Parts: sequence; C-alpha cells; structure tokens
Amino acid sequence: MSAKTTQPTRNTRNTGPGRLLIAVYAVFAISATARAGYQILTKFSEAPLAHILSAFAALVYVVATVSLAKPGATWFKISLAAVLVELFGVIVVGAISIFDPVAFPHDTVWSMFGRGYGFVPLVLPVLGLVWLYRRRPAKTDE
Amino acid sequence: MDGYFYAILAVGLLSTIICVVAGILKKAPNDVTILSVAAVELVLLVYFIGSIVRVAVGEHIAGAAWEFWGYLATALLLPPAAVYWSVLERTRWSNFVLGAVGVTALVMAARMNQIWY
Repeated sequence: MSAKTTQPTRNTRNTGPGRLLIAVYAVFAISATARAGYQILTKFSEAPLAHILSAFAALVYVVATVSLAKPGATWFKISLAAVLVELFGVIVVGAISIFDPVAFPHDTVWSMFGRGYGFVPLVLPVLGLVWLYRRRPAKTDE
Repeated sequence: MDGYFYAILAVGLLSTIICVVAGILKKAPNDVTILSVAAVELVLLVYFIGSIVRVAVGEHIAGAAWEFWGYLATALLLPPAAVYWSVLERTRWSNFVLGAVGVTALVMAARMNQIWY
C-alpha cells in the first residue's frame, strides 16, 4: 500500500507518529479478536455479557486500525467515532468493573481500565484523539 | 517461566530499548534496529522448534494446545510485519514500531508459558 495519493498530507493519518499508533492498534485488534473468539468458542455460556463485550471491543479496535490507515475525510470521521467509542468503553467498563465486579466475572480488554494490558487501552484512545486532532481535515473540504 | 521466556525477555527488552533509543535520537530504521528485531524472530523460531521437539518427545501442554500454537504463530508474524511496515516509511517513528515488537513478544511469551505449564 504505497502512499502515493494525490491527497494533501493533512488528510492522511498513516505517516509519522500515526504509523506507531496504527501498529499498536493492530496489535490490539489481533489480540482482542483472538481473545474474544477464544472466549466465545470455549466458555460463552459462563459470562455472555462479558464475552459479547470482548467481541465488541475487538470490532472497535479493528475499525480503528483500518480507518486510521485510510486517507480521506470519511475515514477520519470513522476513526474519530471508533476512538471515542473506545474511550467511552474503557471508562464505563473500567468503572463498572470496579464498582460492580459481579457484573464482570470474566476479564475483558477494558476491565479495570485495561490493567491487564498495562493500561494501554486507556492511554491509546487519548493518544488517538490527539493525533486525529492534529491531522483533522481542513475545513475547506466542505 | 522457562528458559525460552527468559531468552525472549532479554532479547525482546534489548531490542525494544535499542529501537526506542534510536527513535528518540531521530534516526530512521537502520541495520542495528532491524537486526535487533530479527534477533527476536530468531529466538521465537528457536522457541517454536523447541516446542515441536518437546511435544514430539511426549511432553504435555497443560493448557489449550491450539491456543499456545496460536500465540506462537502470531508472535512469529510480528517481526516480519513490523520490519515490512518500517521499510515502507523510513522515519524515526518506524523505530518505535520496531520497538513495539520486543515488548509484545515478551507479553506473548509470558502468556505462552502460562498455557504450557
């Protein structure tokens, strides 16, 4: 996928720091998808809610990875939505998992604010928002 | 935790440190950083071959075997993917991408050890 497009650089997010961000998102997309798939295949009935949530989180990471790698204003909006959902998810699930552990007998990526993953799930959407803000499409597009 | 884990711990951390320092120094990926990631791949390959031998000899994986092999196969794909991704754009940021391989391999090796024993 060569980056030889006629897009202005402002409208791409897959260069410089963006590449690191995409790489980390890709790792989370793969691990979350694999984990959710494994949980659903082997022990879905034990905690359906947690495992559906795991699958949802995996989907969010996949969408974020793909949309960050794509140029253009539409993909920017999709990225923004995915990163915001991720931030919302990690905060809400993190809070619920602390105040009501019974609701989450099984860990998800977002439980305890992503403690099981070195709090990367909490930091990642913040960095994502910073990056998206710095590479927001120019207003003249509209 | 077995010898394979400690080997990946040492090589992975060293690789991450080399790549992150190179990134901080604003260097593009070079032989040193790419070879350090190649070293991680090499240790993972040894882990892979060693694990095949151990299973062939009759050792039993305590956890789900396919989960162990899934982790190992994915870990083996990481270094080539990161190197490919880093040569496409040779900026300092690609060194941070390379640096992510070592720690990721380390975390995955820890999980693989948990599954095995």
